[in-house]
Amino acid sequence: MKKFLNKPEDFVDEMLEGIYCAHPEVTYTADDLRCYVTANPVPGKVGIVTGGGSGHLPTFLGFVGKNMLDGCGVGGVFQSPSADQLAEVTRYVDQGAGVLYVYGNYTGDIMNFDMASELVELDDIETATVTGNDDVASSVVGEEHKRRGVAGIFFLYKAAGAAAARMLPLAEVARITEKARSRTRTMGVALSACIVPEIGKPGFEIGEDEMEIGMGIHGEPGISRKKLAAADDVVDEMMERIFAETDYAKGDEVAILMNGLGGTPKEELYILYRRVAKLMDEMGVKIRHVWLGEFATSMEMAGFSISVLHLDNELEPLIAAKADTPFFSYFAK
Amino acid sequence: MQSIESKMVPGLFERFAARFEAERDALIALDGKVGDSDLGLTMSKAFKAARDKVLGEFADADIGTQMKQAGGAISKAAPSTMGTLMATGFLRGGKAMAEAEALDVAGLAAFWRAYADGVAQRGKAQLGDKTVLDVLDPIARAYEAQAAAGAELEVASAVAAKAAADALEATKDLVAQHGKAAAFQEKSRGLQDAGGTVACMLAEELNAFVQAAKG
Repeated sequence: MKKFLNKPEDFVDEMLEGIYCAHPEVTYTADDLRCYVTANPVPGKVGIVTGGGSGHLPTFLGFVGKNMLDGCGVGGVFQSPSADQLAEVTRYVDQGAGVLYVYGNYTGDIMNFDMASELVELDDIETATVTGNDDVASSVVGEEHKRRGVAGIFFLYKAAGAAAARMLPLAEVARITEKARSRTRTMGVALSACIVPEIGKPGFEIGEDEMEIGMGIHGEPGISRKKLAAADDVVDEMMERIFAETDYAKGDEVAILMNGLGGTPKEELYILYRRVAKLMDEMGVKIRHVWLGEFATSMEMAGFSISVLHLDNELEPLIAAKADTPFFSYFAK
Repeated sequence: MQSIESKMVPGLFERFAARFEAERDALIALDGKVGDSDLGLTMSKAFKAARDKVLGEFADADIGTQMKQAGGAISKAAPSTMGTLMATGFLRGGKAMAEAEALDVAGLAAFWRAYADGVAQRGKAQLGDKTVLDVLDPIARAYEAQAAAGAELEVASAVAAKAAADALEATKDLVAQHGKAAAFQEKSRGLQDAGGTVACMLAEELNAFVQAAKG
């Protein structure tokens, strides 16, 4: 393992200390560094809370900020935050209008968020939940409830945050977020493994010349492992699976997220995006928004994912709305 | 005695806390055979926190609130799987009580049914998986049968405690399907389930409390 660390067991808390030093617009509650919240809650607004394991920056906490999220329970590397931490974040974030939970579809996270929701009921805080399950590779059509949440959750955050910023009620924010969820698809591919600091070794082996299509952001097995192909061919294979699940009419609009997993440079992401744009153009689909960079990583894993949100008239202006967080700023054009 | 009144509930939680404190090392040893040995520690912490909560600011609350607050305190004090399951049980049981001022046999049946169902749902366990559910469900069924028969509280709680002990004994024949114990599979046969032991202790203490209150 070759990482900049003090002690592996301090990885998460020291990362958080650094973030709090750098970004005074976020802070923590309940005297617990891992109960990460905005320093500027908006009175009367529906709160948006996420949470999940560390090791994916900017996901999850990076999107706490103006017009996106209000709080995040921070777990150990690839581990869920506790129900109690999520409840503390919820109590801080609630401004009387209730709180929407938006997080990835993983067993441990579900158990703790559900528990947190019951705990804050004792304080008369209303919650609703939308779990991201955009990873096409993690289960077949018809079994979408088994799919994992990966980078595409960014679009759910964007839609939820913009809807809440319009001061819509909880049920409406939840409905819109649910719609974004149902129209988001992601495919990923990995070239190398990542190392959890407290373990110190790669989570799996992959050959120098191999890629694994569909691998999860914690190294969960994908659909197929094969020889690394040309960038265009990799994109074609991934997009084929996304196109297979969506009915696009000519003139439809999409938002695209080209996400590096941590060890893949932007140069390569642009080479890959070039092909995505060409395929969309051939379909007659208009790319209305594209973001390219690191959004949901797996520490130093090399690889990338493509997320596509099939826009409609309701979602488009929410995705286009400005947002400003320590890890993501967007100024509406 | 027909029912447990809300003002008696702090006394019940004093019993729970004392029992898990006394059984701390025994539970650690039992859990250590197939698990990670933290059960004794987490349960003694969990019920101490529940007792303090119910003895303190919620001593005069209705029973539903007392049970729910006990669940909240357990969740905070014991964020392990078993802690979360017990917290869920008390939260769901408390919800089933609504604002009841007293807990009779029918009320206990509703409490334990909601408790067992909540644990099953949160833990995604089924009967026969060798979990706490294999003792909780028989407790709920015993109270339900006693309520249907119109039994006195003393009789019902004694029958339920016996049902819990029998169910715990029966877990020895089961093979673990969940958690760290699942890795031991066949090796877990012959051992009583550690989580089930906790449920059995709850039913026993509830019965002892009822019998003592009668005397």
